[in-house]
Amino acid sequence: MFLRLVFAIGFCCSLFSPQVLAISAIQIQVGEVDAPAGKLKNAQFQVDLKGTKPTLILKAEVKPTNEKEFIPFNLQCEQFNTEKIGRVDCLKGSFTAKQVKAPFSVHFVSYPNDFAMDIAFNAANFSDESGLHAGENLTGQIKLAAKSVNNIWQWNGLISWDKGELFWQPFYFGKAGNRFEVNGTFKQPMLNIENASLLVNEVGKMTSSVQINTKTQMVEDIKVNAKDVDFAGLYAIFLKPMAEKSVFGNLEVSGKADWQFEIKNLEPSSFELNLRDANIDDKNGKFAFKHMNAHLPWDYNNAKTVSIEYESGNLLKMPLGDTKLSAVINRYSFTTPQLTLPILDGALNFTDLSAAMIADNWYWHVGMNVSPISMSAFSKALGWPIMQGKISGRVPQVTYAGKQLVMDGAMTFNVFNGTIGMDNLKIEDPLGVVPRLQADLQMRDLDLGDLTRTFSFGNIEGKLDGDVKHMVLENWKPVRLDASIQTSEGKHLKKISQRAVENITALGGEGTAVALQRTFLRFFKEFNYDKIGLSCKLRQDVCEMGGVESTATGYVIVKGSGIPAVNVNGFTQRISLSDLLGRIKRITDGNTKMVVE
Amino acid sequence: MQKLMNVFIVVMTMFLTMSLANAVPDLEMNTPAILAIKNSMQARHNQLAPHYASGAIGLTKDGLIAVRDTTAVPLKDRQGINALVAAENADRNALYKEIAAGNGHPEWRGDIQGTFAGRWIDKAQAGWYYQNDSGWVKK
Repeated sequence: MFLRLVFAIGFCCSLFSPQVLAISAIQIQVGEVDAPAGKLKNAQFQVDLKGTKPTLILKAEVKPTNEKEFIPFNLQCEQFNTEKIGRVDCLKGSFTAKQVKAPFSVHFVSYPNDFAMDIAFNAANFSDESGLHAGENLTGQIKLAAKSVNNIWQWNGLISWDKGELFWQPFYFGKAGNRFEVNGTFKQPMLNIENASLLVNEVGKMTSSVQINTKTQMVEDIKVNAKDVDFAGLYAIFLKPMAEKSVFGNLEVSGKADWQFEIKNLEPSSFELNLRDANIDDKNGKFAFKHMNAHLPWDYNNAKTVSIEYESGNLLKMPLGDTKLSAVINRYSFTTPQLTLPILDGALNFTDLSAAMIADNWYWHVGMNVSPISMSAFSKALGWPIMQGKISGRVPQVTYAGKQLVMDGAMTFNVFNGTIGMDNLKIEDPLGVVPRLQADLQMRDLDLGDLTRTFSFGNIEGKLDGDVKHMVLENWKPVRLDASIQTSEGKHLKKISQRAVENITALGGEGTAVALQRTFLRFFKEFNYDKIGLSCKLRQDVCEMGGVESTATGYVIVKGSGIPAVNVNGFTQRISLSDLLGRIKRITDGNTKMVVE
Repeated sequence: MQKLMNVFIVVMTMFLTMSLANAVPDLEMNTPAILAIKNSMQARHNQLAPHYASGAIGLTKDGLIAVRDTTAVPLKDRQGINALVAAENADRNALYKEIAAGNGHPEWRGDIQGTFAGRWIDKAQAGWYYQNDSGWVKK
């Protein structure tokens, strides 16, 4: 240990009164002190014992080893009592330094092998240089008593505050009324805190034991236990800081919780979170669970069974029903043979689910089949026009890795008396800001009657096939696809109403619908057709249009048949998708009111 | 032969100049991805604005933001400030990438980021901090 004192002590002034030889004042000045913990310079220590209330002033500049600059500080006691041996009182004290202003009082009692200290602070402000440990307007007390037995200090203490706020990276205690009772031992370099009792406002009572290596300043072991505490407070103060970068980092929660975790030798060794009647809402609107009960244990050495149940909820706007899930978690992997996620009147049934965390990334594999979900409830839940039919399907394998969800196998939607198959589904970053979906769709034998009535398009009877290839949705909006729909092969009724003819015409632009009204054709409510077809090759916002066949100036959308035959031709080859969707919306909205004479 | 070479050089130069002249990225384009990112940034701005004003965070010279002075952040926001800045930077990085991709030139990303860095600083309110080659500057 290197200790260098550059003394410039002016032991000075009126040290002795001529009659009684009592000390009335002490002044010490120290130029510089160099110690392993840091440096101290320009120290001035002054005790004035003359008046009825002795005072103490200590001014100096310190530079802890890890800091770059000297920090001046000033410690004063307006009333400094040292009358009794082994006892020092500093009343109306104040400690000021850069970013610290703490009015305080201290009572200090010291005996050969023990000491007790009682500090009261009032509206104290402090912060370290980085601002990661700071308090504002704190009023409370610190009590500390310690006894040395065979070179081991046994100590107990209390920290409590009834006013102010405290931030101790990464924890923020915004509401005062916190009381931490701690006791333990200290033997260089280990500081042991045993059975600390932490009463945290808005959370409840927690217990903790901690082992800190004061040399490395590392918390080597820690154990925290909280029973039946408030989940909202527990989440806000303790869980949110740990989950900040995950999808659970921005939640609104309520309910009751038990929580315990243990870190041994700097490694997490166990964790358990139990939730009772909890509500969880993602503030980004990606998911929510209502009335959730969960048992989420984890142990480094032993496999544990996780169970979750909730009454309702939603995931990416998809409504979730009453659900009970359980799975086995084994260190960093997660397995279950069967998992059912009820959605409306059906369910997603997951089989052979397995997940593993490898290098901080989760990899999921699961098979899935869909117990039929009724389209009417599903479309209503998503705010779509009400559709009849069922969604069902079987997907041999879904994988989720590196924020990408890939589905091997097809999902089938049984809608409009036909089928829509979805294949080659891939979703990048489904819970992120820009989810990007890729898929192919195959529509077969859709009942045009059902379809046109659902979307208020004007009635068309017939059946429709369609293929959408290389579809890409960004944030669920199409930016690329090669789509074509056309009348299905085979015999079926093919009729198109006058209103539908007008609406299809209006899709291609303005004008021709009016023309129809001017001719004798206006007396016909419906027409026969041979084929209907439309195609769109979408790149960004531009759709290159086509129909059942090409003409010199455009393409045929409806090819009439019989007498009178009506052909609807399209002339706009390239159309902006947002314009096209705008037109469709105007038509479907307008048709609910429109009357054709 | 020399003449032929000269003609070739002139033609190549013209060709290159023309392609460079045409190569102006559309920074205002709005694809669904760009709109989603802009909406996400817009929603976050209310949370960031007081921290720009207090000098807690500032605009970096590479078109991102950074925590400049943690002590200027109110204690209640201090724990979340790093995550907030990280989320904003993730969106900004995604925005530059999407604008480059939307222009059909993913390799323009760096240049677009550079242009935006200047724009953010131009649009910053008085009193906000931004970074230049010598460090943090108050606007």
